[in-house]
Amino acid sequence: MAAVVLAAAVAAAIKGRAMSQRNRRSITGALAAATCTLLGTSATESVQAQEELGWDFNTSLLYYGEDDDRVQDISFKSLSTRTYVDDRYLILGLTVDALTGASPNGGLPQSVPQTFTQPSGKNTFTTPAGELPLEDAYRDTRVALTANWEQPLGRLYAINVGASASKEFDYLHLGLNARISRDFNNRNTTVSGGFAVAFDEIDPIGGVPTGLTQMLPVGDLSNRRGSESKDILDVILGVTQVVSRNFLVQLNYSYSDSSGYLSDPFKIVTLVDASGDAVRLLPPLPPDQGPSHINYFEHRPDSRSKHSLYAQGKYYMDGKVLDASYRYMTDDWEIDSHTLDMRLRWPVGSDKFLEPHLRYYSQTAAEFYQLSLPEGDPLPEFVSADHRMGDFDAITAGLKFGWKTGGGNDMSARLEFYRQTSNVSSGQLIGNQVGRDNVPDLNAIIFQFGYKFGK
Amino acid sequence: MRIGILMAGILVFGVLSGCSSMGVEPWERDILAKEEMQLTADPIEAATDDHIYFSKEASSGGRGFGGGGCGCN
Repeated sequence: MAAVVLAAAVAAAIKGRAMSQRNRRSITGALAAATCTLLGTSATESVQAQEELGWDFNTSLLYYGEDDDRVQDISFKSLSTRTYVDDRYLILGLTVDALTGASPNGGLPQSVPQTFTQPSGKNTFTTPAGELPLEDAYRDTRVALTANWEQPLGRLYAINVGASASKEFDYLHLGLNARISRDFNNRNTTVSGGFAVAFDEIDPIGGVPTGLTQMLPVGDLSNRRGSESKDILDVILGVTQVVSRNFLVQLNYSYSDSSGYLSDPFKIVTLVDASGDAVRLLPPLPPDQGPSHINYFEHRPDSRSKHSLYAQGKYYMDGKVLDASYRYMTDDWEIDSHTLDMRLRWPVGSDKFLEPHLRYYSQTAAEFYQLSLPEGDPLPEFVSADHRMGDFDAITAGLKFGWKTGGGNDMSARLEFYRQTSNVSSGQLIGNQVGRDNVPDLNAIIFQFGYKFGK
Repeated sequence: MRIGILMAGILVFGVLSGCSSMGVEPWERDILAKEEMQLTADPIEAATDDHIYFSKEASSGGRGFGGGGCGCN
């Protein structure tokens, strides 16, 4: 039967040698149909098999948990990709985070209990002696949506445009992004450039406190104002290069400019005396009425420019894939950071793999980072005791296991441990602060289950 | 901004000088086409990590865009 169809098509081709251009196309079609018949498939199916049109779903469930009852997050994520003809894609992302737990408020462990006014200004909470002050009213749900459209533009260009939005109880993010890339050197070199803009607004209960004003008694909102906002512009330039049949590298430069309210409205800095202990508020307030010690709300500059250089290599060796990357970041807050990341995907049998992961991160402190404010000194222009603005190192170590299900879908599970160790310089320590664990290590566990299915 | 211009210069120089002599022929892309050889082999894991480290550290981005989207930092 197939041979008959092919013979008919060939006969038509011979007969139609002198035919017009339009008819020639139909002969090509007939030949294609005949070939497809020989292969036992229809022309339409062939196109679909090649392009694999339809939806792909990439989903995951994450547990992130810090020790000492600090932040716990259960997060569902999905990336749904619809493939259209001619390499066009619609990519939709959804993230739902359920956050609970406590977060360090910037205060220091003391030899006596400390009482603080809640960020809302409605209640107080007390930290026992010797413990790191944690603001424990941390409960939030975050929903984030992204949508991107990707398609080729001519033979060598491709574009990707998108929008993002996320909402938490007191935070709103809206963003737009666009990227264009062009292939060179027989598609061995790809140069890309892109930008993203974000408009974020924070609107905490009780309002945003004015930086470097004192923490006030319950009900006193005189140093609060309504919401605040920040705008962020990101620019990225990148080159991807195929080095050999099993080696691929990428180099990116990115610039990020943030302006507006860049402080954390929930973070404070403690006023300390010459012995390094927190200064008591006088006359004292009853513990349910206000703070026991003098604390100031942090105040960061209202602009920040960051530069990053990122290099990544992927190397395939006999079934195993080494993925190594390095990032250097520097900004005008005097934070410099180095990030090294390594993964080795190791196949186990034909449809399983193990992937150990190691990450090392190190950053210097922001120029305005201070553990505490010495009593009697004039207040600085900017200050933050947020540990994330300090000098620290961090290590992540983990293992991922991936396997194929009976239906041909991909599943994976990874377990990782994250530890942050602060390096407070001795010049920052005053009196009794020497020898105290002013910034305890942060330990977190990351467990993620992934499931990919579709088409 | 001067650092930015310098870094962009290094990038452009790198592309112009070295890349044109490297690469493979179209029929040698079998390994590069594998899912595990994509630069972001697991986009959902990459997005998760970016979000965790964005909220716990003072750096973000590099691999992609780094800014905004969360009240956690």
